Amino acid sequence: MAHIHLEDGSFSLFWVIVWWTVAIILIGISLYLLRSGKKTDSRKITIAAFCTATAFAIFQVSIPVFGGVHLNLTPLIGILAGPLIGSLVVLIINILSAAIGHGGWGMIGANTLVNIAEMAVAYATWRFLKPFIPDLFPRAGIATIAGLLCGNIAMILIIVISGVQGVSQSTTQILTGLSLLAAVNMGVAVIEAFVTGLVVTYIGKVRPDLLWGERS
Amino acid sequence: MTALPEKKGLLIFLGLLALVIIVSVASYQMTGHMGIEERFSHAAGLDSGEEAGEEGGGWFGLSLEGSPLLYGAVLGILAIGCYAAYRHFSV
Repeated sequence: MAHIHLEDGSFSLFWVIVWWTVAIILIGISLYLLRSGKKTDSRKITIAAFCTATAFAIFQVSIPVFGGVHLNLTPLIGILAGPLIGSLVVLIINILSAAIGHGGWGMIGANTLVNIAEMAVAYATWRFLKPFIPDLFPRAGIATIAGLLCGNIAMILIIVISGVQGVSQSTTQILTGLSLLAAVNMGVAVIEAFVTGLVVTYIGKVRPDLLWGERS
Repeated sequence: MTALPEKKGLLIFLGLLALVIIVSVASYQMTGHMGIEERFSHAAGLDSGEEAGEEGGGWFGLSLEGSPLLYGAVLGILAIGCYAAYRHFSV
């Protein structure tokens, strides 16, 4: 949901390199942890593959709410695949999206960071709330809203820190505009929270073994 | 009376949703009706993003984006297809 819809050239080359570098470092850490740990469950790889295909497809569908928004399903990726594999999933989704003109190539690093923030916060919220809210549906919904809120905050911070080339507005004006944009964006978090809650509840009923940490 | 603690997660979730909807609708009223790219360009202080890809495209002259009717139709077909697959394969 939070996605920097700016074309290449909006950020200076310096900030494009900075965000790419930070994203590569995070993905490198994820790869290192995945390779150094025990062998990854093949079911998790399968889930990650399905998440990648589904999220990429849903990225491209504009929902006619508030003039047009799109789902990301990044919180669902975090809950199902975890933050380590999930960081690889969002990188692939952003590369494929840029390939068809959804976000600039230079924005892949920044957008990957935004999506990693969404996914990691949703995963952390999902795990943290388990003792307090055992029900899958509300817990997944709350985790989704928390993740998407943090993703929007990350998006605003990245744009404000980088600055947008060729604009005459002050930082305060841009911050105000982006805050309103994020607030409108959060409208779709309602839809995304329901979708995530329903998917997680369904998986919890038919294949609870696919929800890691939920097995009793 | 014991149902309330059991449903506390759902109550918190619905409360959050209500808050998000209120803030979102208020922000939408303040900013007006815009597409994704246009809204983003406007927020970032760039010129209108209408040329950025919101218009045009589509399949065989039909554009899914921005058309609630087509979106509903496609969603309905997908829902029916999923239900049929669900029944057929007895998931």
